[in-house]
Amino acid sequence: MASRRTVNDVAIVAMGCTPFRDHWHASADDLLVDAVRECVGSLPAVTLDDVDAFWVGTQGSGLSGQTLARPLRLTGKPVTRVENYCATGSEAFRNAAYAVASGAYDMVMATGVEKLKDSSYSGLSAVYPPADGTDVDWTAPGGFSLLVPAYQRAYGVDARGMRDALTRVAVKNHANGARNERAQFRKAVTAETVENSPRVAGPLGVMDCSGVSDGAAAAILVRAEDAHRYTDRPVYLRGMGFVAGSGAGLATDGYDFTTFPEVVAAARQAYEQAGVTDPATQISLAEVHDCFTPTEVVLMEDLGFSERGKAWRDILDGRYDLDGALPVNTDGGLKSFGHPIGATGLRMMFECFTQLRGEAGSRQVPDARLAVAQNLGGQPGSSVAFVAVLGNER
Amino acid sequence: MEPDQNRVEPKENPPPMPEQPGLDAYAAYLPAYVLADNRLDATDPPRRGGPARGVAAFDEDTVTMAVEALRPVAAASTSGGQLLFATTNAPYEAKTSAGVVHEALGLDPGIGAVDLRGHRSGATALDLVVRAGATAALADLRTTRPGAPDELAQGDAAVGLVGGGHAAAVLLARAGRTAEVLERWRLPGERHDRVWDERFTAEVLAAAGLDAARRALAEASLDAVDTVVVSSSNPRAAAALRRALGGDGRDATIERAAGFTGAAHPGLLLAAALDEARPGQTILLLSATEGADAFVFAVGDGVRAARGGPSVRDQLAARQPLGYGRYLRWRGLLDVQGPARPAAPAPAAPPMHRRAGWKYRLEGSRCGACGAVTTPPGRVCAACGIVGAPDATGKVSLRERTARVVSVTRDHLTTMPEPEVAVVVADVDGGGRLSAYATDVAPADVTVGMAMTPTFRRLWTTDAIHNYFWKLRPAPQDAPPGKDTTDGQ
Repeated sequence: MASRRTVNDVAIVAMGCTPFRDHWHASADDLLVDAVRECVGSLPAVTLDDVDAFWVGTQGSGLSGQTLARPLRLTGKPVTRVENYCATGSEAFRNAAYAVASGAYDMVMATGVEKLKDSSYSGLSAVYPPADGTDVDWTAPGGFSLLVPAYQRAYGVDARGMRDALTRVAVKNHANGARNERAQFRKAVTAETVENSPRVAGPLGVMDCSGVSDGAAAAILVRAEDAHRYTDRPVYLRGMGFVAGSGAGLATDGYDFTTFPEVVAAARQAYEQAGVTDPATQISLAEVHDCFTPTEVVLMEDLGFSERGKAWRDILDGRYDLDGALPVNTDGGLKSFGHPIGATGLRMMFECFTQLRGEAGSRQVPDARLAVAQNLGGQPGSSVAFVAVLGNER
Repeated sequence: MEPDQNRVEPKENPPPMPEQPGLDAYAAYLPAYVLADNRLDATDPPRRGGPARGVAAFDEDTVTMAVEALRPVAAASTSGGQLLFATTNAPYEAKTSAGVVHEALGLDPGIGAVDLRGHRSGATALDLVVRAGATAALADLRTTRPGAPDELAQGDAAVGLVGGGHAAAVLLARAGRTAEVLERWRLPGERHDRVWDERFTAEVLAAAGLDAARRALAEASLDAVDTVVVSSSNPRAAAALRRALGGDGRDATIERAAGFTGAAHPGLLLAAALDEARPGQTILLLSATEGADAFVFAVGDGVRAARGGPSVRDQLAARQPLGYGRYLRWRGLLDVQGPARPAAPAPAAPPMHRRAGWKYRLEGSRCGACGAVTTPPGRVCAACGIVGAPDATGKVSLRERTARVVSVTRDHLTTMPEPEVAVVVADVDGGGRLSAYATDVAPADVTVGMAMTPTFRRLWTTDAIHNYFWKLRPAPQDAPPGKDTTDGQ
């Protein structure tokens, strides 16, 4: 069984990302056009016609490659639509990267989009195939909130300590988002605001949840050897792993809801390809899937940033703050930047891209060299997970 | 996997008529809630010792209660030729409710399934149990208009009765009398009975009841019995008949706590009497509704072992009090704004049929290689990944097992008629994992490690399809004090 770095290295040479918002006056088509235009527009010598193949990730805002081909009126181009729960944007990126690495194409584009705000519902509302009616009608926060009592019990964390850690995640990510004009929520929040928000699932309130928003993002990928033809500051894909879980965590006994085994496996692949042996000290910053505050707590351990059972303490100690040892979700994360499903994975890469090029302004992490983008979907016990390591050196 | 595989072939001939008619096994099911106060905006405490009614939870109907009632005793009914479901409140028109009960109990496909409707259907089902060896669920769920004079006098309950033997009781005699009278009725689609002046109908029913009782006693060559049990849709008629027949009023005490439970009522009162009767004693059971049916029983030698589940009195004592507002919301009598969330999806007929063993009997698959249990059942083991042959995968029913909570959450955005519901992931003793709604327990009381047991419920109804499946409720040893909802023995 192998999961290797591609024979040809891959680089990102341009990216675009719309602000994540309630885009009442923009359609998914409009958002894709905006993200793609920003992306292509950042390379003076490149036009859309130079892109050989396209991927578009969307969970529910369109079917088929025409989701992208139609709004951009692409002519004679291959476009693939992908879907992989909330890791959809990363999946578009992953497949595009393999395509350009293979040599089949010289320049490819990965895009992601989601239009969530046309539904009149504040949460996610996926449509599933006809079924026997025996599944719990989980809300997303319901599924992820299972992490909380399990984590507390496994590591002897009392309710106050756990609440403080969850609150700190929300406060930190909003503080970061406040420095980011593209974020959905550009406002710092107090612990009191987080803890007094209306309850939605178990101990989680509205302010423990990611922002539901509309948005799109895009990236142009080339082989690393070609990167400097387009930009002086390419960002290199150093490694990536992806795992679609077997769902055993919900289908048979054993799984304890204190970890995402899929993330652990995907991270192992990505780190190995990137030559990362001690992520806790080697990684400059990380964009992680903070769909709900407890997810970020557990991910700090799954990604090897904190020891098992210690993440909650490290979070409270400020280790993952913008000025901490390993800043996490410097752009605000799903929590504050927002979570238009199909765009999120590429939005994470957009922040890594920005930071690794030293363009993050007041959010800039000094001397950022290696960044992790970690994106997941599903729910604890039955998830899909993507981890990538990006660097500004090849 | 074909749900009908591995089942016993239908029997060639109907079972022989029992040589000695009687009742072989019985079990009562009383829902976990009691409503004792139906005043709106009450500021002072309710009248002590007033009437109370049993209330089925929002996730129960007559089908789920019938399954719960028959679960402890239906295994004994392999020889019965018919499963009867008697009610005045079936969840479906046109579709046979007994079929759902039959599937959930896993009965032999050769056993028929038939619904009996109307107030007299309970007594009729009992007659077919004792004289034709049938198996029956008598179940009813009764709702009056808010504030109706008899709101606390109606109740919800189910009783499971198994014929084909006489361990519980031997039938000594019976007599019936049909009397057409407009007493309680409702049009299709209506929720509440309309009731004629009960002083008129009491006279008709009391006369019919007295006639039937006297004929049955005469046929049994008895002047008197040890216990008189009277069930009537008309409380005046019931009181008059108890007085005339020398009843001791224990049946009335049960009724005052449970309410009149419609088609289930004669079975419920018989069960309560059998709970306390000694072998050899005689019981006159008289049901006076739409005429009258009288049964004279001699209590069987095996009466103690013939009961499945806890006694009627223990179940009544274990109920949780329910506030009137919650009751009104559960019954759809108070339309409360829910969350901005789409309705839970309706199940589809082919997947329900393909996975009937899982949906109706909570059957997972046990891996032939590593022994792990996979839920929902699948071709490939979730633990070891070995592919089983379609027919080789072992079926294992998890519904009688205890499961322990691994983690729990509370859904504050539930579309069910509650502010929140608990959802758990729980590991089954002996293997297997369930993701399930918790029920009959306050969500805040569900904790990691809690022991729970499966109970058959209606999850939701969407697009006119009732979605039945299993939930988990606290196991008896883990139920909070005063909330013991199952085994009171």
